[in-house]
Amino acid sequence: MTMTDQRRKEEGTLASLFEAERQYAPVPSGDWMARMEALALEEQPAPRPAVPAAPAPRRRSGWREALRAFGGWPAVAGLAAACATGVWIGIASPETMTTLMSSDSSSLLSALDPASGFDYAMLGL
Amino acid sequence: MPYDAMNGESDEALLAAYAAGEQAAARALVQRLGPRAFGHAHRMLGDRAEAEDVAQEALLRLWRAAPGWREGEAKVSTWLYRVVSNLCIDRMRKRRGGAVDIDDVAEPADPAPGAEAALQGRAREGALQEALDALPMRQRQAVVLRHLEGLSNPEIAGIMDLGVRAVESLTARGRKALEGLLAGRRAELGYDDD
Repeated sequence: MTMTDQRRKEEGTLASLFEAERQYAPVPSGDWMARMEALALEEQPAPRPAVPAAPAPRRRSGWREALRAFGGWPAVAGLAAACATGVWIGIASPETMTTLMSSDSSSLLSALDPASGFDYAMLGL
Repeated sequence: MPYDAMNGESDEALLAAYAAGEQAAARALVQRLGPRAFGHAHRMLGDRAEAEDVAQEALLRLWRAAPGWREGEAKVSTWLYRVVSNLCIDRMRKRRGGAVDIDDVAEPADPAPGAEAALQGRAREGALQEALDALPMRQRQAVVLRHLEGLSNPEIAGIMDLGVRAVESLTARGRKALEGLLAGRRAELGYDDD
């Protein structure tokens, strides 16, 4: 049973009276409608300004991320210098090192050793 | 969006467009809701001028509520019927508490049917309005919403803040009272042989 059928069943002997009343529904005057339209426009919030499109997020390259991970350009420059020194030591002729070791090895070692024999004796070593 | 394109929009979508500043939405809402608010107020109060005041106040409240309206929270039509009903009940209470207004007589609407049918239609309308005016406020509200506005019982329950059973009981008592009030006028109103 539809809602309308149900309602008509409820209305019983009053059905035709209600039906007539529904047909002669009170209608507002044109003047009142015009005033309501003016009031609605008067109360209406101002149009929202167009929101500019948000800039696309900047894509970070993998190199930039790696650079940041190492601590920036200064850290990378230090690392590069250390690498270059290592490479130089690797390819330089071994005579230089031999000369260094053989010329006065004891004095060289003592020069490299931060503690002297006296210091070790004092420590009981 | 042009005005015509808004005819298919829901009340809620139109209200959102109204809050966003679309003038066509304001016009479409007035065309759609203005007659509804006025018609309901007229049937409740039986007075054209008062119905205009009440409907205007209800619409004004709707426009002011529009920016904070949350979609899905309430149906616009239910909200409007509720506001109109409450404003009418306030007026009816004041009326009963104050002096009797000799102008408090149902004014015919603006029907334009022809001759005899129009006369009988007006007689029926006047008689029904008089009988409605004699009902207790809540019964009148329930009968108007159910039988003249054509709403479902759950919708009426939402408007009146009642359970569906209570609405059914109110409308049943209202109909019975109307039948009693109109019993002696059946022949005059031409509905005893319908």
